[in-house]
Amino acid sequence: MVTMTPYRSTVESSRDGFPQLLLSEWTKLRSVPRWGLTMLAAAAATILVGMLLAAGAGAQSAGGDGSTAGISPQFRDAGSYVHRPLTGDGSLVARVATQERNDPWAKAGLMMRVSAQPGSPYAALMITPGHGVRLQSNFVTDLPGSDSGAPRWLKLTRTGDSVTGYESADGSNWSKVGTVQLEGMGPTVETGVFVASPDALKLLRQFGGEDISETTNLGKASFDNVKVEPARPQQLAPWKSNGNTQVDPNATTFSLVGAGDIGFYQFATDKTKTILSGAMIGIMALVALGVLFITTEYQQGLIWTTFTASPRRGRVLAARAIVLGGAAFVVGLVASFAVFLIAAPMINQGKAAPASLSDPQVLRGVVGTAALMAVVAVFSLAVAAIVRRSTAAITTVLLLLLVPLVASTALPLTVAKWLEAVTPAAGFAIQQTIMRYDTAIGPWSGFAVLCAYTAVALGVAIWRVQRQEA
Amino acid sequence: MEATIEINGLRKRYGGTVAVDGLSFTVRPGQVTGFVGPNGAGKSTTIRLLLGLDRPDEGTALVGGKRYQDLRTPLCQVGALLDASALHPGRSARDHLLWQAHSNGIPGRRVDEVLELVGLAAVAKRAAGGFSLGMRQRLGIAGALLGDPPVLIFDEPVNGLDPEGVIWIRNLLRRLGEQGRAVLVSSHLMGELEGSADHLVVIGRGRLIADTSVRELLAKASDGRVTLRTGQVREAITVLNQAGATVAATDHDEVTVTGLPVAKIVPLLTDAGVSFSGVAERRPTLEEAYLELTHGSVEFQATPAGQGAASW
Repeated sequence: MVTMTPYRSTVESSRDGFPQLLLSEWTKLRSVPRWGLTMLAAAAATILVGMLLAAGAGAQSAGGDGSTAGISPQFRDAGSYVHRPLTGDGSLVARVATQERNDPWAKAGLMMRVSAQPGSPYAALMITPGHGVRLQSNFVTDLPGSDSGAPRWLKLTRTGDSVTGYESADGSNWSKVGTVQLEGMGPTVETGVFVASPDALKLLRQFGGEDISETTNLGKASFDNVKVEPARPQQLAPWKSNGNTQVDPNATTFSLVGAGDIGFYQFATDKTKTILSGAMIGIMALVALGVLFITTEYQQGLIWTTFTASPRRGRVLAARAIVLGGAAFVVGLVASFAVFLIAAPMINQGKAAPASLSDPQVLRGVVGTAALMAVVAVFSLAVAAIVRRSTAAITTVLLLLLVPLVASTALPLTVAKWLEAVTPAAGFAIQQTIMRYDTAIGPWSGFAVLCAYTAVALGVAIWRVQRQEA
Repeated sequence: MEATIEINGLRKRYGGTVAVDGLSFTVRPGQVTGFVGPNGAGKSTTIRLLLGLDRPDEGTALVGGKRYQDLRTPLCQVGALLDASALHPGRSARDHLLWQAHSNGIPGRRVDEVLELVGLAAVAKRAAGGFSLGMRQRLGIAGALLGDPPVLIFDEPVNGLDPEGVIWIRNLLRRLGEQGRAVLVSSHLMGELEGSADHLVVIGRGRLIADTSVRELLAKASDGRVTLRTGQVREAITVLNQAGATVAATDHDEVTVTGLPVAKIVPLLTDAGVSFSGVAERRPTLEEAYLELTHGSVEFQATPAGQGAASW
């Protein structure tokens, strides 16, 4: 046998680091023209469907809804309020003599607020027909007092930035309900009595959607012994009403009729989420892409070429997940910003404050949609690496992801909420900017649920791929 | 890296089937080693075990003393053509090689070099899905050559190639061997290795049957047989039989003579007045030598009909 010098490779400076692997997987992804079209389709579907939904919702709210002008649709700030300014510390006392029991959450009581402007910070002590005495502030805080109804004595006391509520049966023995802090209080606040009542709401959930109709439900109550007691002697301005009602500037008894509620509203349309709902359709294209990115290699036997070039299979899968997730994120980001900028003017038709990117919640929803699309694509990739068949993988992912959302309106609310909180569909919560009666899970918790599914699927996929043989 | 392939006591079973059964052999640099056996003999399994795609139940398969999965930048150390149809139909030939190059940090210009080398430069931008089987084989070979590796493994590289392609690959294999590389070429058709293989590893049902150089095999197989062309077959047989040779008629005007050299046959026939138009010492083809080698081997008898046996 002839002896020879062993051959040496002339290819220089070769490396098989992770960046090289990323470049390799990116080359794979970008070099199949059909996959580029799939990404384009994902963006187009997200934008077009979002526009359609926004146009529909905008036309509906243009007719007028119960929202309060200029503030978030999440809150209602209506009702009847008779007030006068109070400078410095002091108290407001009154007896709610009667209250019409038209709604368990009808409200009648005392309110101090930073200004008479809707949406300004407030503290309100009230009686309700169904929930007793409550001290509420700034639309979200709600502290319970006793179970008593009218007649009942109420007292609100301002000390610096805090407001404390008291209740009493006779006007002399007071018990404390609670204390709330109000931001932004100047030396002078508005004090007075108010009546409010939520609209009568009819909610119809059926497969494919919900229908909410509201009719005005007037709240009525009478007050006597109304008195503002400043800590520092001062000339009190006359009573004013927030409506067109004429009031006696020196009255101590009032009879008020109020329409609309003040507080948290659980039935508002989530405009941002509506605009971004097209992602649900666009995401299907990314599910297909994530699955095909791996199953085509199995079908063609190309996966063995991949594992020959890069024997460390876990790293290959990790690199592929990063490349796919990155690409899906960019596509999602372009699509979600585009659809928001196009569709927001269509849907911002009602009186309520418009959905705007300057709102951190809205920005989170828009950027979160891109993150959602990226994570779902990676989840699809992982499922595909486990089951190795396109149809099975696509079906599995779509079932887990979309059925809870599509079927939710056909299911009992508790079941629907549970499904939307424990399945990968929880990830869509990242798009919500409004807390609703049917909100299943918080935005970040929901996204974390999806990420957990993805992490587990990716772990199983890596484990399986490392053991795979022909 | 020492450019050798060492297979040692390799054993692999899939379910109830033993695919490779205690196989040992070595592939040395500087020559082309044919890896031969009928379909299902375990050639592809051995190659998959060698490339770390499957795990052996027992034994080792090492490249340059290392397990394949422990190699860094494996493409620069071992080039392999496994399955020519393993490509994404929508991806261009160039991109198909480019992602492989990137994964091992091989510069993009090397991709153009190998495309030129295998004669696919003109169709580099075309989607590989439209390629003929022959073009796919060339693309697969280009992939194996990407890292300019000292060890090359080709699984059935001649499949689907036209005659021109067969000659091309024969020359390529020889050239790669002459450059000092260890080249392992599997085939189920012995004839395909004619003129390129220097050494042969023959397996059947997962076991080693022969590990021999081609020259030795041919020398052993020729056996001093002589082919004689004559119009007087009957007379020729009688004369030569009397002289102690074994004679068999192979055609109406041709006989094969065993046991007598040409130097004795010619005077015998001349003396007896038997005319003949040709006499030649038979040089067996590689395929014939191979058939002789495997004749009577239990491993080959049991080959399922219609598969390996029929193709020879």
